[in-house]
Amino acid sequence: MVKNPQIRIPIIISLGAIAGVLCRYYIGLWLLQNFKTQFPIDIFLINISGCFFMGFLSTILARKYPLHPELVLLLITGFLGTYTTFSTYELNTAVNLNNLSRDLLYWIGSPILGLFCLEIGIKLAQITLSIKSRS
Amino acid sequence: MKETYFFIALGAILGALSRYYLTLFCLNKWGNKYSYGTLFANLSGSFLIGFISTIIFYKIISLELQQFILIGFLGAYTTFSSYILDTSNLYREKRFMDAIFYGIGTPLIGFICIELGIISAKIYNSL
Repeated sequence: MVKNPQIRIPIIISLGAIAGVLCRYYIGLWLLQNFKTQFPIDIFLINISGCFFMGFLSTILARKYPLHPELVLLLITGFLGTYTTFSTYELNTAVNLNNLSRDLLYWIGSPILGLFCLEIGIKLAQITLSIKSRS
Repeated sequence: MKETYFFIALGAILGALSRYYLTLFCLNKWGNKYSYGTLFANLSGSFLIGFISTIIFYKIISLELQQFILIGFLGAYTTFSSYILDTSNLYREKRFMDAIFYGIGTPLIGFICIELGIISAKIYNSL
């Protein structure tokens, strides 16, 4: 394959980014069609699920594959970095502002639940690793 | 639109690569005490989404270009999961004040950046 890191790295990130954006777009569409709500459920669920995977994958990759930085570029920088988004999260909060309690729940709830899901991901990865190392 | 996936994928490639090289640039320039790259990407991305989503009201921009910029480029350029991971890492390193400032500061300043973007777009339109 392509050996030159100047070309190899952007290709790896791009592949992750393509998968990430398509997941965000189509999962978002599906969520909006299935949950008829004024709450921006699509970006909310995508961001907190992304945080869960971030906790899980970053722990697994750091412990199990420390010598494979390309997996980090593909899965963390490319895929999860693109799957989750900050700009739309802020835009949803700033533009609506007609139902203050809902917007505050979304605005403050996203990072708090995100942190919570990240920690669950990390714990789950640690449990997975300890089961694997025992067997 | 059938070709949606093409435009958002193209935008996402550019967005993710911009974020990556910005992060590298910040790492070389200011070190790794804070993740300046992610912070700067999130804040500048917030400003841009405020600006562009407002401009759309005034100027006719094709749906493909909107999706390319808003869902593809800006969606990929900014990231929520790294912001949360960085906050959690600051906490884990026992830098509690930094974790609180970064965790609360990013959405708060991001909100201000969006409003600045919206105001800039309105000023730009009235020129």
